[in-house]
Amino acid sequence: MSAQMLTFLSNDGVEITIARDVAERSVLIKNMLEDLGDTDEAIPIPNVNEAVLRKVIEWCEHHKGDPPSTGDDDDSRRKTTDIDEWDQKFMQVDQEMLFEIILAANYLDIKGLLDVGCKTVANMIKGKSPEEIRKTFNIQNDFTPEEEDQIRRENEWAEDR
Amino acid sequence: MEDNAELESFRRQWREEVAQRTKHSRPTPAQPRPSKPSTTPSSHLPPTRHEASQREEEHGGADSVDHSEIIHGMGQLSVHHADEDAFHPPASREEPKSALEHFERAVEKEAEGKLGDSVQHYRKAYRLDSAVDKTYRNKYFAAAWKKSAQAPSSGVTPSKSADQQSQNETPILPTPELIASFAHLPIPQAEPLIENTPPPPCPISEVPSEVLVEILRHVALMDPATLCRMALVCKRFAYHFAHEQHIWRRLCQGSEFGFKSMHYAFACDIHGNPEHNLGPRYTPFPQSMPVQIPEPLSSWSEVFQVLPRIRFTGIYISTVNYTRPGAAAAYQSVSWNSPIHIVTYYRYLRFYPDGSVVYLLTTVEPREVVPHISKENVKIARATTHKQHPRHTSDATVTADALDPIPHIALEALRHAYRGRWRLAKPVSDSDSSSEDAPVEISTAYKSLPEKAAASPSDPRDLIIETEGVGPKYMYLLQLSLRSTPAAKSNQPNVSPSNPSKNTKLTWKGYWSYNKLTDDWAEFGLKNDRSFVFRRVRDWGLN
Repeated sequence: MSAQMLTFLSNDGVEITIARDVAERSVLIKNMLEDLGDTDEAIPIPNVNEAVLRKVIEWCEHHKGDPPSTGDDDDSRRKTTDIDEWDQKFMQVDQEMLFEIILAANYLDIKGLLDVGCKTVANMIKGKSPEEIRKTFNIQNDFTPEEEDQIRRENEWAEDR
Repeated sequence: MEDNAELESFRRQWREEVAQRTKHSRPTPAQPRPSKPSTTPSSHLPPTRHEASQREEEHGGADSVDHSEIIHGMGQLSVHHADEDAFHPPASREEPKSALEHFERAVEKEAEGKLGDSVQHYRKAYRLDSAVDKTYRNKYFAAAWKKSAQAPSSGVTPSKSADQQSQNETPILPTPELIASFAHLPIPQAEPLIENTPPPPCPISEVPSEVLVEILRHVALMDPATLCRMALVCKRFAYHFAHEQHIWRRLCQGSEFGFKSMHYAFACDIHGNPEHNLGPRYTPFPQSMPVQIPEPLSSWSEVFQVLPRIRFTGIYISTVNYTRPGAAAAYQSVSWNSPIHIVTYYRYLRFYPDGSVVYLLTTVEPREVVPHISKENVKIARATTHKQHPRHTSDATVTADALDPIPHIALEALRHAYRGRWRLAKPVSDSDSSSEDAPVEISTAYKSLPEKAAASPSDPRDLIIETEGVGPKYMYLLQLSLRSTPAAKSNQPNVSPSNPSKNTKLTWKGYWSYNKLTDDWAEFGLKNDRSFVFRRVRDWGLN
């Protein structure tokens, strides 16, 4: 299993060549390669543009030695908010990029990256009020005052005050 | 025909009024309730204006206008400073200036039990304005007045007001249906700040549901309260909050906030040192095997809400207030007034997921001591003598969160804090549970239980705490029981009742002291004692 190189084509038409073991952090690509067999052609990644793809590859390069994740329940043993320092730095991007990375990770099925992305977003939400959350993500309040009140009453218990 | 025109004009008026009111006040406490048709003929001309709206004008701009704002503001208060709690001083506090402000502050102090401060503010308020109590009542209780003032007016137009209401108000759905209707709504984007410019980017609105749920799950595991606030952000989140049962199941099973860290047998010794039992540890929802929702409940969120659960994200406080007649000074031949002492003291309990607890009885007020109550600080407080400053104890006991110096007053109080351990009563449902679980304990220090404690039937909401006593030969046993604050009754017919947190109160069942040398139990009287009430404290118990 020497460093076999693969070429990918982002949706804005840029070719990027990376080592196969890095690319196989993505379950989607791994399965695809198993189905396709060896190929010399550039593999199109239709949903991801160059900038995001480069970012994703950067993450895969750094984490290529990680043991594969074992499944959904493995995080019960870890502390949930633990994001290692490198990942924190890696995720210091603007919000649009952050969500594009998350979408790409979801599409390419890279669980580790998706996890880090979602945790980063969760950290942005933590401790904020609904209004602050709306401001952070540019979300509009679509409740009528009555509905909002109704939901507030219903969910009041979870506030633990 | 003429009747119809009248009806039409009335409708228009009504709509305007309703629109005006809903503009700044929330769910319109003044909405007249539809009453059953009375004998009044329907052709009777309705009053052109409601008495209540006239009243509003009478009172003039100042307080009637901001009344609704204040109510609104108060409603948001708790959400606005999301992470605020009562124990960390607010950013800045202005000194009251006007009579009303003094009065408000006085009421606030009175509620806190600081009667001296309160009286001072009351005095100032009345000196500035002798009718300040009226102003105050107008400001805060105008809604209650309005309602009674409107009641007769709705009686005048009973049949109309009923169908008016159905026209102007969308019928209120029961909450589950309402939430279900949110299922596939998009996350709405904020409007542009300036007209005709592109709206601010809202990348979260393009995220598919499964990823949103993943984000929500992470939020939930950081702090379930934040998840609850997310449900108020927009409809889509509210839907996921209610429907993602696997998040709630994970919370129930997890050790962060869930039942995995509920102890049904003591997990450490009385000083908080871990003890290892060889037997399997009981947990209601083990992660290793499939679990079921316990019988009467129907969802995991309900399980999380209803089953007895100790919170680690804050402090349980029992405030005791009592008065006691004081003796008049002996040298006064005529006593003009006999002094009365108002005594306030507090009991604090902070629980830890490892089965330990810190118990503190003190007169020091929550704001001064609560942020500093922790096992680490108790250790520091005990290690320092009176002359020493906490900083000089630069040994291993100094941990990260003890690095900022503890105020002297808190340190003094913490010196008398007791360490202890806690457990919940095992939720045994089988009938052969007549044997107390206490004898099963390996680590019980005492041979027999006090009569009352042994006699009381085991209730799954019971909480047993053992703490250190005043000297090494004593041990204290606290028996408490988890209770819920009753839901505040809403007097508005179509508003769903509030749904406060469950099991956040600890009521007393018994309090004993045990003499280890003589195997004697002595009961403490609980004449003045009040229940413990849970309060969140910023950053406690969160990862």
